[in-house]
Amino acid sequence: MVKLRGAAVLAAAALALSACGSGGGSDTPSPSGTQPRVLKLWHYESADSAMGKAWAEAIKKFEASHPNVTVKFEEKGFEQIQKTASMVLNSDEAPDIMEYNKGNATSGLLSKQGLLTDLSEEVTKRGWDKLLPGGLQTTARYDDRGVMGTGKWFGVPNYGEFVMVYYNKELFDKHKVAVPTTYEEFTAALDTFVKAGVTPISNAGAEYPAQQIFYQLALTKAQKPWLEAFQSYKGKVDFHGPEFTYGADTFADWVKKGYIAKNSAGLKAEDMGVAFMNGKFPIVISGSWWYGRFASEIKDFEWGHFLFPGATMSPGSSGNLWVVPEKSENKDLAYDFIDITMTKDIQNLLGNSGGVPVAADPAAITDAKSKELIETFNKLTTSDGLAFYPDWPAPGYYDVMVAGVQELINGSKTSAQVLDELAKPYEDNLADIGN
Amino acid sequence: MRGPGRWAVLFALVVLAVVMIFPFLIVGMNAIKSPAEYSSQGPLSLPDGLYLQGIVDFWNRVEFGTKLWNSFVISASVAVLAVVLSVLNAYALGIGRVKGRLWILVLFLVANTLPQEALAYPLYYLAKAVGLYDTQLAVIIVMTAIQAAFGTYLLSAVLGQFPKEILEAAAIDGAGRLRSLWRIVVPISRPTINVLLIFFFIWTWNEFFLPLIFLISNDTQTVPVALGVLQGEKYMDATMSSASALLGVVPAIAFFLIFQRTLTRGVTVGAIK
Amino acid sequence: MRVRTSGRRGYWLYLIPSLLLFLAVIVVPFLMNVGASFTRWSGVGTPRWIGLDNYTRLLADERFWQSFQHNVGLIVAMAVVPTAIGLVLAAALFDYIGKRFGTRTASALRAMYYLPQVLPVAVAGVVWGWMLHPSYGAVNQIFGLDLDWLGDPDLALATVMGIMVWFQLGYPVVIFMAGLQRVDPSYYEAAEIDGASWWRKFWHITIPQIRPEIFVVLLTCTIAALKVFGPIFVLTRGGPGNATMVPSYFSYLNFFQKSNVGYGSAIATVLALIIIVVTFLFLRVQERES
Repeated sequence: MVKLRGAAVLAAAALALSACGSGGGSDTPSPSGTQPRVLKLWHYESADSAMGKAWAEAIKKFEASHPNVTVKFEEKGFEQIQKTASMVLNSDEAPDIMEYNKGNATSGLLSKQGLLTDLSEEVTKRGWDKLLPGGLQTTARYDDRGVMGTGKWFGVPNYGEFVMVYYNKELFDKHKVAVPTTYEEFTAALDTFVKAGVTPISNAGAEYPAQQIFYQLALTKAQKPWLEAFQSYKGKVDFHGPEFTYGADTFADWVKKGYIAKNSAGLKAEDMGVAFMNGKFPIVISGSWWYGRFASEIKDFEWGHFLFPGATMSPGSSGNLWVVPEKSENKDLAYDFIDITMTKDIQNLLGNSGGVPVAADPAAITDAKSKELIETFNKLTTSDGLAFYPDWPAPGYYDVMVAGVQELINGSKTSAQVLDELAKPYEDNLADIGN
Repeated sequence: MRGPGRWAVLFALVVLAVVMIFPFLIVGMNAIKSPAEYSSQGPLSLPDGLYLQGIVDFWNRVEFGTKLWNSFVISASVAVLAVVLSVLNAYALGIGRVKGRLWILVLFLVANTLPQEALAYPLYYLAKAVGLYDTQLAVIIVMTAIQAAFGTYLLSAVLGQFPKEILEAAAIDGAGRLRSLWRIVVPISRPTINVLLIFFFIWTWNEFFLPLIFLISNDTQTVPVALGVLQGEKYMDATMSSASALLGVVPAIAFFLIFQRTLTRGVTVGAIK
Repeated sequence: MRVRTSGRRGYWLYLIPSLLLFLAVIVVPFLMNVGASFTRWSGVGTPRWIGLDNYTRLLADERFWQSFQHNVGLIVAMAVVPTAIGLVLAAALFDYIGKRFGTRTASALRAMYYLPQVLPVAVAGVVWGWMLHPSYGAVNQIFGLDLDWLGDPDLALATVMGIMVWFQLGYPVVIFMAGLQRVDPSYYEAAEIDGASWWRKFWHITIPQIRPEIFVVLLTCTIAALKVFGPIFVLTRGGPGNATMVPSYFSYLNFFQKSNVGYGSAIATVLALIIIVVTFLFLRVQERES
């Protein structure tokens, strides 16, 4: 690309002309601890979410322990960060620390582009690795190809997330269904609802929920090596092997049996969640990101949750990461801030607000609903059951998954055809990485 | 058609208008619902009462006053600059009929034909090189070019039909080109020029992509980019989105309503003849 | 005549500011985009030259070329239908409603038709999702239907087309009504004396007189339909399956999901060239007609 360095004079003139503030951030770090400094921090969690609350508190604590530093926090839109991260981080407008999505296509790519700071040294020095059990570390480390799992640390997650089965206790009681503990009990429960004329599972085919159900079904037949092959490219994945074949066949079967509505292909995640909150469906299979919202907005009935019966693994991973841009001018402050977010106080607050903390003190979680959630998560991580998400292995795979699962819902393609469609972009990406 | 016939026509047109604005009613309904009410009764239920906290919260959360001002400055600058350029271009192409005008028009229209994503990276590097990254001026310059392309096309097509006798008469009276443009062409084309002004303002007001790429700091951002914070990664904040959507479109609608009276006849061709 | 027809050349001066602006903002970026299309590049760092690889890959991409057939439907929905309905509406508002019920009524109706253009696309997508919800959407309830508007692959494109008509209609109405202001009222007066019917006047006066606007609306809407992305993305994301997939999706996907800027640039270049050819042919026809 052409660099027009000579145009700097023009630029200065234009800047003066425009007189539109460009967000400061030109403060140079001072070696002494007394000069005023600014930590530019971005994240995209809303203020009333568990993370939003915990991080607001972390900012307060940080400013208290660093009296000479002001934190300049800006709440960003998720989409803006997704689309412009590499542009921003490659410019002088980069923040000193920011939240960013985990995974190969996001943090992995930025690390490969050299836009993120290698945190490995700080991680060992400050002991963050000790706070994160195995499955949670996977998404924080990326190798030279930007593939997660091994290599240097480029981010630190504060929280976890996983997919579970939420259920409406009132509807379960009304139809005399007990909380299932095995896969057979689960399908028997679904049958009961169908017989009573109720579609049991609220679903959304146009976005992530349907593919997570499909993936969860495949996981009931999967073992660790298959997962590592699929997610970390350690071995070959057979898309017509028993795991995916079972997932696709069973998903199509569930639609046929009426467990999942035939007309759910065009629905969005928001529709799915609202339908469950309205009490229109007894069950929704989705992630812990709904937990806080369900807790605060469902007033008309009692609800609970359980892990997908009969599976040792469920979709889930660490939450988004704190990353430190390579161009950050205050890396030392950024590390201090991360350290504060990992302290018990902040982690407990995150837990009590409906989030899934990674390093909370279980005794300090006083909220009953939050306690249940964290216990379930701990159950999943101790059995090393975080299986990540089906759309992660290849960039742009999300839409391929959406299209494939929609075809299963509509019955417009057979499961074998759908699996072929899923296999192709996956193989293409493998060839690409090999490059 | 007299009597009942004309009422039937009016009725049909009103029914169509209601269909057109029906989605706005739904937005309005959800804007004044509390999140809990929306969650328990769904988006299509009538609101139980007036809940304005969503609007207030959103206003404070994104410092909406600043965004309104930013959007206004950008949209107004683009509208005026692009109209001026469109008039100049159309004068040369439509009335001057300069050689190769077809090619020049195609060249201008490339601005409209290029997918915006294609412009993102090149403009990012150019803006960074001249120090305009993360400034409103960058958005103003780019949007002016894109809007002027459309304006040039519309105006030069319209001016192509301009009655030549009038200009010839003016030239005989000794009017120079600039004078003819200002005294004759502009007044007669006023309705079309006003359409351009309104469209440019509203299109720029609603433009999402380029401000998203160029306006990184929160204090330079525009209204549509601010609305973006409500679309989360896993779901959206529906009531607040409705509230903010209303807040965001009100200025654009007000602008349209205020300026639409300028769309009616200014100076007629007949009057100048 | 003593008219200074001496120099058409003088008119060039009026184009200079715009040509400079377009050089910087459109032409140079377009060439940079073409340059990037010969490389493998993630948007940051040094691009690697790979020659025509991106283009050979694109030529072989069946999904990309197949998605063009949906554009045919979208051109109908975004250009042809809004232009046709817009003409009738504009004429009806201008010389029927305006004359019989006052210009205020006509202006109020015009404003309502124009409103959909103002609503942010993302919000419009959400609202239509609510209204078309297969189980409790307003449309199914009002008409007593049980259709899966956006989820049924045989219906989704037609639904999207309908929404696009709703979205686009106001634009031609406003432009055509402004165009009608230019028409010399004496034409209509003469026709009225001859006792011509409304439709006759519409056909023989209105349409020929605002022909320039009709061309402009048709071309700009066709361009918009060929590169449409936002509304499709918020309504269906190209689904169900690939039933509403459009070519611009592929450039979006590569620019922002895959960070495959080189390939994305190749797609954008091809798309732009196709649209430029269409534009050029269209302008040639327009030039002959006038």
